Amino acid sequence: MENMQNRMSWLKEHLRNEWQIYVMLAPTIIWFIVFLYKPMYGLQIAFKDYSIFRGVANSPWVGFEHFHTLFGSDQFLRAVKNTFMISMLSLCFGFPMPIILALMFNEITNQVFKKTAQTIVYLPHFISTVIIAGIVITAFSPSAGIVNTFLEWLGFESIYFLIKPEWFRPIFIGSGIWQEAGFSSIVFLAAIAGVSPSLYESAVVDGASRWQMMWKITLPAILPTIIIMLIIRIGNLLEVGFELIILLYQPSTYSTGDVINTLIYRQGLQGAQYDLAAAAGLFNATVAFVLVMTANTISKRYSRTSLW
Amino acid sequence: MTNMNLYSRGDKFFVRINMVLIALFTISTLYPFIYITAVSFSNGSEAAAGNVVWRPLGFTIGAYERVLSEPLFWSSYVNTFIYTIGGTIVSLIIIIPGAYALSRRQLVGRRFWNLMVAFTMWFNAGLIPFFLNMRDLGLMDSYFGLIIAFACNAFNIILLRNFFEAIPSSFEEAARMDGANEFQVLWKVFVPLSKPAIVTITLFCMVARWNGFFWAMVLLKDEGKIPLQVYLRQVIAELQDDEEFGQSLIDATYSFETVTSSIMVCSIIPVLIFYPFIQKYFNKGIMMGGVKE
Amino acid sequence: MAGVELKKIVKKYGNTQVVHGIDLVVEEKEFVVLVGPSGCAKSTTLRMVAGLEEITGGEITIDGRVCNTIAPKDRDVAMVFQNYALYPHLNVYENIAFGLRIRKEKKANIEASVEEVAEILGLTEYLERRPADLSGGQRQRVAMGRAIVRHPKVFLFDEPLSNLDAKLRTQMRAEIKRLHKRLGVTSIYVTHDQVEAMTLADRIVVMQDGRIEQIGTPMELFNNPVNTFVAGFIGSPPMNQIDAEVQKSSTGYFVEIDGAKIKLPKLKELEGAEGKTVVVGLRPEHFELGKVKGLNNLPVELDLVETLGSEALLHAMVANTPFVVKAETNGSIDHLEDISTVSINTDLIKVFDKETGLAMGHPTSTNS
Ligand SMILES: Nc1ncnc2c1ncn2[C@@H]1O[C@H](COP(=O)(O)OP(=O)(O)O)[C@@H](O)[C@H]1O
Ligand SMILES: [Mg+2]
Repeated sequence: MENMQNRMSWLKEHLRNEWQIYVMLAPTIIWFIVFLYKPMYGLQIAFKDYSIFRGVANSPWVGFEHFHTLFGSDQFLRAVKNTFMISMLSLCFGFPMPIILALMFNEITNQVFKKTAQTIVYLPHFISTVIIAGIVITAFSPSAGIVNTFLEWLGFESIYFLIKPEWFRPIFIGSGIWQEAGFSSIVFLAAIAGVSPSLYESAVVDGASRWQMMWKITLPAILPTIIIMLIIRIGNLLEVGFELIILLYQPSTYSTGDVINTLIYRQGLQGAQYDLAAAAGLFNATVAFVLVMTANTISKRYSRTSLW
Repeated sequence: MTNMNLYSRGDKFFVRINMVLIALFTISTLYPFIYITAVSFSNGSEAAAGNVVWRPLGFTIGAYERVLSEPLFWSSYVNTFIYTIGGTIVSLIIIIPGAYALSRRQLVGRRFWNLMVAFTMWFNAGLIPFFLNMRDLGLMDSYFGLIIAFACNAFNIILLRNFFEAIPSSFEEAARMDGANEFQVLWKVFVPLSKPAIVTITLFCMVARWNGFFWAMVLLKDEGKIPLQVYLRQVIAELQDDEEFGQSLIDATYSFETVTSSIMVCSIIPVLIFYPFIQKYFNKGIMMGGVKE
Repeated sequence: MAGVELKKIVKKYGNTQVVHGIDLVVEEKEFVVLVGPSGCAKSTTLRMVAGLEEITGGEITIDGRVCNTIAPKDRDVAMVFQNYALYPHLNVYENIAFGLRIRKEKKANIEASVEEVAEILGLTEYLERRPADLSGGQRQRVAMGRAIVRHPKVFLFDEPLSNLDAKLRTQMRAEIKRLHKRLGVTSIYVTHDQVEAMTLADRIVVMQDGRIEQIGTPMELFNNPVNTFVAGFIGSPPMNQIDAEVQKSSTGYFVEIDGAKIKLPKLKELEGAEGKTVVVGLRPEHFELGKVKGLNNLPVELDLVETLGSEALLHAMVANTPFVVKAETNGSIDHLEDISTVSINTDLIKVFDKETGLAMGHPTSTNS
């Protein structure tokens, strides 16, 4: 009891002296509550028969009904499959590119060339998704697109890429690589910059070639960074760029391109089936959470520093 | 290491091949920009026929004339500036003091508050609850709503908090002995000392705002409030479905391709103007704060 | 009236206690140096005076006013930090003016004060420069300027010279001393370097493991260390300490070291102490070279002679302990190479209790 009182008076004194930091903290905390935690409360509609008029709290509970519906729906299962397929493919093709680029940039001796090339390959990162989509739509258009123009020059039939399911994933992943590979190489370049020059100097004295140094010195030195980035990437596996998919896909490419978030967008935001879409979202968020937590645990064990 | 004369023949060969490959990659990165620029200045029928490769064919500014004569283009352009500048300012006003408070040792419940922020990086409620929340708050279809709803995020706060935590405590202690209060310590000492981190976050915010389209598309119904990216998407969606637009314009000065390309060029230009400034900062380990604590 | 008074000061971090009840009175205008090995809680003690660390127990009084719960800015003290904490985005003028601006002084006052301080410290030419464009010594001066400009009642220094190279350190040491003479402000100075302590202090406080071992003027500590720790810490090279067994002869008490009889001074504590092991303390400076009649002669087998210029250090092993003698060189060290005996006056020999480490026959100990 007395302890409690002591603590209260200490807290009072503390607040009198340090009120300023709490004033500073307040907007951030309020923002997080209003815009991120309140929706978590709203997530309960995944278990409810939500109606706009009754609101979140007053809509009746329906248990796991929406999840039963989802797992009985081919569309949803297809979206889950597509999500995993697209993210796995992005990982396989997208992850090594920045590393290769960084290693290659490191071998360039002409500084002007290097700076210019870097400036250019970083640029797409800063371009909006809508423009990326606009470029893709223009370039892959059946009649006007440059890609088909080239195909015809080479004597092939022109292809209407954007309505062909088998072309959706290559185009999506390719444009992702085009946009992000350069910028993602910065992390690895920073890691390479941290390698002690004396390692290379002693290797030169030992007569190593550039190629050998790349394999025997640079790559092992940045391996920890590579592994950390890989773990982060796996943790975020479900974060496929659905904004670009929304801009690129069409009903004819849903079979390969429709992912969980695009399905949520169509059913929830366009179709107003909020509760069902929220259930799909909850499934997505839960799997993502498990992945992130696993990644963080692995990373803690591997590098003794947690990612966050 | 940069003295080429010391390289063996094998090394020189390796370096050359490497340079060629990088050059190819660089050109293929740059090419789409050249391509849409060339298309945007081309005659509509040349562009529609797919003849444009490197440079404009049948040079014309017809597409631009059409785009620039559209009031909606201008209002969306202005809106983008409003969202970008307003959004960035609001973000900084929330993030800087918040990150500072979270970095203070004397903050009671510091672990809890930090966890509360970080948790949102691991778990979020998803699109639907966020959307319904916005509607319940009455923040649909308003400038303020779009600006405030994306003013903050865990990543930026943690990035800046880590930077603040790395500042030697003697700076703060010296200021404190000089009589500075928390606001003065933050504003006169921490903010100037954290310039690189703050510039980085400012750039993150600006780029995100400039390019953001999804939530603007979902939340804004009033055409007068939409930003450029949403406008561009609308134009693409409308013209793409408009068979006549493509067909009836044989020999026209503009076509679907040239019109959309010219909007894209207009949207990229401010990014290009700003880009050298951005680049100066992001080279200095922009990713650091996010990757390691 | 006292400048600063510490009464039974205790500091705990969680459950670990790092300061164990310190009592210290710093007189007005006095320059007191806290010295001790790294980790002995010198900084912690100083920071409690500054108000940067909470005081777990006891009471700190500054200028007669109890300060335990008073904010640092209201204690009227200024501190110079080891890393100077100069604001890199401000020039020298603004750095010095920072505290005055925060306190909303009048513009004219600020200008006059900063210029006066810059004059005192020889910084007038550099007022426009940023800290990055200054040398180490200049930065150090700016840090002091920032403290001086507010005319505080007390200056606190936390290892202010340890980031400088040896030469600059000597130079700045002298400047700090001159400055103190000129301004006459009560100062508490923390260092782990006993040379700095000796040269700067009016009084030295030797600390170990969060306790005060001894307080006294530099010469008091040098001549009469209260225990083996202080004896080993003050003086450079440190006092030779050799374990030996007390024996009694008709003329008094003595010990035998490497076969040589060393007569001990007359001390009350030695009465009846035959057979007891004591630590015999012999300052390297107190020896004469060769056999001298009437003094205690000690055979030494030199293994190394280090030249310092006007002086040289003779190294040997005595009673299986490293042993150092300081000798004049007279412009050459040839005559030092074949020294085989050194001699010392009995009155200069210190004797410590082996078990407690305490000095025998210490004049009224100032230890608390
Ligand atoms: N914030 C802290 N938390 C826990 N222990 C601390 C803290 N600061 C200092 N200490 C401990 O207190 C002791 C004294 O530290 P300090 O006063 O810095 O020593 P000195 O300045 O004499 O080198 C050390 O053992 C140190 O590890
Ligand atoms: Mg210290």
